[in-house]
Amino acid sequence: MLRRELRFLTALWKANLQAAMEYRAAFVAQVVGMMLNNAVYFAIWVVFFDRFGQVRGWQLGDMVLLFAVTATGFGLAAVGFGNVLAMADVIAGGGLDYYLTLPRPVLVHVLASRSRYGGLGDVCYGVLTFALLADAGPSAFARFALGSVLSMVVFVAFMVLVQSLAFWMGSASQLSAQSVNALLTFALYPISLFDGTAKFLLFTILPAAFVGSVPAALVRDFTWPAFAQLAGAAFALLALALVVFHRGLRRYESGSAVRVQV
Amino acid sequence: MTPAAPVPPAPGTGGALAWRSPAARSAAKYRAIFATQLAQTAAYPADVAARSLSIVVFMWVFIHLWRATYEAAGQSQVAGLTLAQTLWYLVLAETIVLSKPRPAAAIAEAVKDGSIAYQLNKPYSFLLYHFSVGLGDSLVRMVGNLVAGGALVWWVAGPPPDPRGWPLVLVAMTLAWAIDFGMVALIGLLGFVTEEVAAFEWIYSKVLFLFGGLLIPLDFFPDGLRTVAERLPFAYTLYGPARLFVTPDVDRFAHLVTGQLLWLALVGGLAAAAYRAGVRRLTINGG
Repeated sequence: MLRRELRFLTALWKANLQAAMEYRAAFVAQVVGMMLNNAVYFAIWVVFFDRFGQVRGWQLGDMVLLFAVTATGFGLAAVGFGNVLAMADVIAGGGLDYYLTLPRPVLVHVLASRSRYGGLGDVCYGVLTFALLADAGPSAFARFALGSVLSMVVFVAFMVLVQSLAFWMGSASQLSAQSVNALLTFALYPISLFDGTAKFLLFTILPAAFVGSVPAALVRDFTWPAFAQLAGAAFALLALALVVFHRGLRRYESGSAVRVQV
Repeated sequence: MTPAAPVPPAPGTGGALAWRSPAARSAAKYRAIFATQLAQTAAYPADVAARSLSIVVFMWVFIHLWRATYEAAGQSQVAGLTLAQTLWYLVLAETIVLSKPRPAAAIAEAVKDGSIAYQLNKPYSFLLYHFSVGLGDSLVRMVGNLVAGGALVWWVAGPPPDPRGWPLVLVAMTLAWAIDFGMVALIGLLGFVTEEVAAFEWIYSKVLFLFGGLLIPLDFFPDGLRTVAERLPFAYTLYGPARLFVTPDVDRFAHLVTGQLLWLALVGGLAAAAYRAGVRRLTINGG
């Protein structure tokens, strides 16, 4: 059963890649462009730490790791489950009709039917900077892969949760855009900057800590309790997202728009 | 028989059909486009308010970051800026970025899908049309962003800088948006030669963040890098207006606007040339 769904998922990714290869120049431009985009953005932190040295115990090396894990986690989500950034529009526009008529899990099918190859640039950037700057050995790479995948799970689960609100609100595009924005913004800053209520919010309502700082800490110093905390948060959020999506799906209605799915 | 050239009516005899110079008619046309977009954006205050949430998120992060940084530095001023000045600087820099016209995707899409053909035969300049639309949108969003971001920083760091400088800042912001529009239009016009312009826009935006001083004022840069950054158009787009906001000064304004006009002439000229060259290459199939 699981193997069958994995084969289906792989087939979707293959089809997405073949579609992207029709526009090779655009594909390369997106991947390389995103890597450069991230590199220039990170240069801001180089200037910052050159001037101030450290802030609340965070130094440039910690930021390299934080950027690498967050970029890789986000990139995996964008490539593997690209519709996670546009699902509210699919729901509001009656786009689920197509998926509901097919004998495959609706959520996985919707999410994976689109790949955003800018995300591949994020993954390449994350892996390369980790390899070049973080002085990493094979075990560190294993921790990096684990942290990045868990970061991706948290990101995808949270976005499914937010985008599913479209079942009740009608349009949730603006809310979704703001949520992605806020999640990534907070994920890319040291968690030690925040305390009290702010920190509580970043571990609960807006789980940015589980996308950035917590996986980065796991990569730096693996401990079983830290792993249990991150994995527990990731799968609890995923379970909640699945429940909310399927509850919402029962409310789904579509109009009579005729559309062509290519 | 040759029709007589139109004769300007005597002053004071105008009406709806009063004679106006071509430049005045052209300005009125773009003013009307700008006013229409302004009214359209202002008609959805809930949307403007929702979009203004982003600046609250960013400023909330900046407040934590810079408070911790000033604490760690153990100084009330860093490179001549107090914590409150730094935060107000960031409010204005963020407002410029979050409110600026974003024509690149629209221009590139119009080029790719051929809808540019419908705009080419209209009696207006394609670029000035997009700038007028963008400016109308930007001014409304600027108010939302300034109110939302300013309220948070006022609550945390105290009142804003001297309001007598605000009209000067508004002029500098408009010129900043014009320079940025020229740069982004150049990127959008790349749609004439490439299939995809998003990657160029991402890179431009991050270069603007870095050398414009969006997240770190240029005052905090190492001397060599600061000297270079201050001469680039990005500094005239973000750093200049934001720094003028926290330390309003007529000399600073004059220096800033002079630089902005020079960059605008260069970037605007390049965008116009790129547009003319692009239209010559344009091929539209079907209809």
